[in-house]
Amino acid sequence: MNDFFATTPGYVILTFAQALAILVPLLISVAYATYVERKVLAAIQIRKGPNVVGPFGLWQPFADALKMIMKETTIPSGANRVLFLMAPMLTFGLAMIAWAVIPVNAGWAIADINVGVLYLFAISSLGVYGIIIAGWASNSKYAFMGGLRSAAQMVSYEVSMGFVIVTVLICVGSLNLSDIVLAQSRVWFCIPLFPMFIVFFISALAETNRSPFDLAEGESEIVAGFFVEYSAMTFALFFLGEYANMFLMSALTTILFLGGWLPPLGLPQFGPLWFILKVWFGIFVFIWVRGTFPRYRYDQLMRLGWKVFLPLSLLYLVLTAGALMAFGWLPSVPGT
Amino acid sequence: MNWQLAWPEIALAVCGMAILIFGVLWKGRSNAFACSMLTAGAFLLAALLVLSQGGGLGYNGLFVVDPFSSYLKLLILAGAALSLILSVDWNEREGFQRFEFPVLMLFSVTGMMVMASASNLMTLYMGLELQSLALYVLAAFNRDDARSSEAGLKYFVLSALASGLLLYGISLCYGFSGTMNFADLAKAAANPAGVSPGLIVGIVFVLVGLAFKISAVPFHMWTPDVYEGAPTPVTLFFATSPKVAAMGLLLRVMVGPFGHLLPQLQSLIVLISIASMVLGALAAIGQTNIKRLMAYSSIGHMGYALIGLAAGTTEGIRGVLIYLVIYVFMTVATFAGIGAMRRNGRTIEKISDLAGLGRNDPMLALILVICMFSLAGIPLLSGFFAKLYIFLAAVQVGMWTLAVIGVLTSVIGAFYYIRVIKVMYFDQPEAPFDRRPASLSFVAVAAGLFTTFFFVFPAPIIGAAQVAAKALLG
Amino acid sequence: MIASIAFYVFAAILLVSAAMVVTARNPVHSVLFLILSFFNAAALFLLAGAEFLAMILVIVYVGAVAVLFLFVVMMLDVNFAELRGGFQRYLPVGATVGAVLFVELALVLGGWQIAPDAGQLRFAPQPPDVHNTAALGRLIYTDYVLLFQIAGLVLMVAMIGAIVLTLRERKTSRHQSIAAQVGRDVRDTLELVNMPLGVGVSEFYRPLVEQPPPLHSDQPVIAHAGGGHGDGGHHAAEKR
Repeated sequence: MNDFFATTPGYVILTFAQALAILVPLLISVAYATYVERKVLAAIQIRKGPNVVGPFGLWQPFADALKMIMKETTIPSGANRVLFLMAPMLTFGLAMIAWAVIPVNAGWAIADINVGVLYLFAISSLGVYGIIIAGWASNSKYAFMGGLRSAAQMVSYEVSMGFVIVTVLICVGSLNLSDIVLAQSRVWFCIPLFPMFIVFFISALAETNRSPFDLAEGESEIVAGFFVEYSAMTFALFFLGEYANMFLMSALTTILFLGGWLPPLGLPQFGPLWFILKVWFGIFVFIWVRGTFPRYRYDQLMRLGWKVFLPLSLLYLVLTAGALMAFGWLPSVPGT
Repeated sequence: MNWQLAWPEIALAVCGMAILIFGVLWKGRSNAFACSMLTAGAFLLAALLVLSQGGGLGYNGLFVVDPFSSYLKLLILAGAALSLILSVDWNEREGFQRFEFPVLMLFSVTGMMVMASASNLMTLYMGLELQSLALYVLAAFNRDDARSSEAGLKYFVLSALASGLLLYGISLCYGFSGTMNFADLAKAAANPAGVSPGLIVGIVFVLVGLAFKISAVPFHMWTPDVYEGAPTPVTLFFATSPKVAAMGLLLRVMVGPFGHLLPQLQSLIVLISIASMVLGALAAIGQTNIKRLMAYSSIGHMGYALIGLAAGTTEGIRGVLIYLVIYVFMTVATFAGIGAMRRNGRTIEKISDLAGLGRNDPMLALILVICMFSLAGIPLLSGFFAKLYIFLAAVQVGMWTLAVIGVLTSVIGAFYYIRVIKVMYFDQPEAPFDRRPASLSFVAVAAGLFTTFFFVFPAPIIGAAQVAAKALLG
Repeated sequence: MIASIAFYVFAAILLVSAAMVVTARNPVHSVLFLILSFFNAAALFLLAGAEFLAMILVIVYVGAVAVLFLFVVMMLDVNFAELRGGFQRYLPVGATVGAVLFVELALVLGGWQIAPDAGQLRFAPQPPDVHNTAALGRLIYTDYVLLFQIAGLVLMVAMIGAIVLTLRERKTSRHQSIAAQVGRDVRDTLELVNMPLGVGVSEFYRPLVEQPPPLHSDQPVIAHAGGGHGDGGHHAAEKR
């Protein structure tokens, strides 16, 4: 069997199977994230949430999916058809391919590449294209405004996010995601790098266009922003993409700051269980924030990104590097 | 690694950042003035550091300090400092006194100093880019003025093209010799088995890129428009320090790594030189704007300076170095005069506006007369000596044609310089200019005195140029 | 085998999309093709073993620079057809210059000799035990630190330039003072009062900020209430 997987076709089949093993649970999680979001928001607002379809409303996601699939995809007359249809696929596809490098357990990653964290950063920075292309291709003012807001917002928050990642990297000495997790076997980075953890999580909210940074959507000012013209399956893809991105950012936070698959407090480890729990905790916080905070105004958003996070992360980066240097804690890197 | 070699540059860069922070945080009414003074102080500090330095090669052969680089750096700093002093009152009168102006100038000077010390094609390029990027912004600094914006944009687009050619040349040089280090390139160029055509093409592209920066014909097209559109102190800055840095770089590249190929490239340099001299002399005749006139004048002067490079001897290099010093000071004095051209609070730039200056402001007129005679090369003024050393060097290596053409174009050039004097003294007088600020008078008098009395005590400069030229030719 | 197939596929897409950048009619399409060509260039870097460069190319050029390109191109209403109007006029000159350059290049490349060990160096730019990220970092921060720092200065000058040329401080815009907002106390904004029954608000309410006196003193006092609540209360009191 192992011989077969070493050959080219075997390798292709194996990779395919691995991809399915990641994507199927991910898609189910995404479907249920919508359910969880509605339930949690309902609890925060002292309502019941979905409770009609199936026991506790558990079949609600499938009902929604069915509805989306059955409806007609309308394309506005002035729209650029190709780009209009490409945008949601891009958003959804990017959210999926990022999972190729996520290690859910020791050695459990489809591709355990050396520059894994850069790959993730690159993919997450591409997410803006789906939105900006959708905004432009819809040929609608509201959609365009949403696209522009989103472009500026994501580019701004990527900068401080990059510095946060660099701070983690100088503590690890490797860009490999598994190495980053293993470097936290003593203490999770969320403790020594606590301010960076906060900055990163808030930037992740901004990167995923989640509340309180959902200006690209801004339903009370620009109706629904970039996807105002989308319907049925194209809309569903945006929806899935947004939730998959939330999972991705939550996974990235888990890997960089919460010790990945490592169990807390010396508890025993059960495969990827701890990783999954931590990711779901991240999702819960995402929803919690949405239920708690009002939307930022645009200038406040820019101010926070450029005038607060950027100097803070830069300062902390310098401090971290200085501390590592001063105490001789710099990790050794092979080949230097 | 001998990192102390870059002390003057490091000090300048650090001062620049400190001044920037100071300018942002201290919002007083005269923060532009304070930042200008601090920048002048930084220039002085850098000059002292340059003077106190030993020599050597540092940063893995990327950076060299020798008498040649020190000579250029001092000249660059002097030109920049004089432009800076001129800019303080000018900017205030024009209403764009902003603290970023001196800071940009400072970073530009840092780039020029790196250029002067480059001993690797990459250092050359980085220095050049730092210098030019700040210059683009300075040219467009008067952003509400269409001509200034146009000047900045034009300079940016054309200069980016030239940088592209330069980079392309550098990549060819690297591809065909496997190195970007000047010392190693010299070895590759001296290869007895013959030099590959790729290297030659690369060198030609590098030459083109640098010729653009010194605005030699046929790469001069940007000069008149940029000189005319940019604010006058910026034009002065353009005419002095960057020219010195680029010319120095041209000398270093052509004599150092590609010295063995200089005989082959000589015809090219001679061609550029003649074209610059001729165009500088002929095209200036029809100009009515004094800044455009100075643009063509500077094209011509770069042509004369290139004669020294074409000769390729120690005397020739020395001639170029002396020429640069004299050129810088007479240009500074002339532009101080142009800076005074202002009537009822508005800038004027026509040559005909100078009419009556001989009666209204005899001192300024006298300085302008000295400058014009000197630019024309009238004996006993410094401009004469500048040309003398260059022509002597050309004659010594038997380049008679070049010398003769130089003398002829000087005669033609004298026509339009003297026309300016005629306008000042003999045309129907117009209303006097506004009162000139003290800083302007200071710059005009200092540069004017140097231009007039260079012949009295030329030894230190000639001696320093001699040492620098020797160091370059090794 | 797979590597070389991948190479040709990526290289072909790169060239086609690069050509499309220049020829596409719609400028937005041009930018999108540019992005596609960046991607393929990154893929070629990956194939050559330069994974760090590949990722940085995507992060910097695709993730940031091209987004701003797209931003600008979408916002600007540039008529590119008009811009291309001069194409016909300058074609002969341009073609001549191009032809001369091409001939020169052909001559140059004619003299190209491939070093005997170039084949081995290709696709394996560093010893196998050193990650190329580490190797790059070692070179940039030691041997080429001077150039690295100058590059930093160049970027800073670009930033200063952008601010100098475009930032206009508007006198009319109202800035938010976060400190003042956060520093506000309950007492500054809120006054708790015990309302006796049957008494209108206007008789009771004293505004914190001095209100201007009413213009016509003979009219019933409405102005001092300063808000809707006071108004209602006043009328209620009148009726009574």
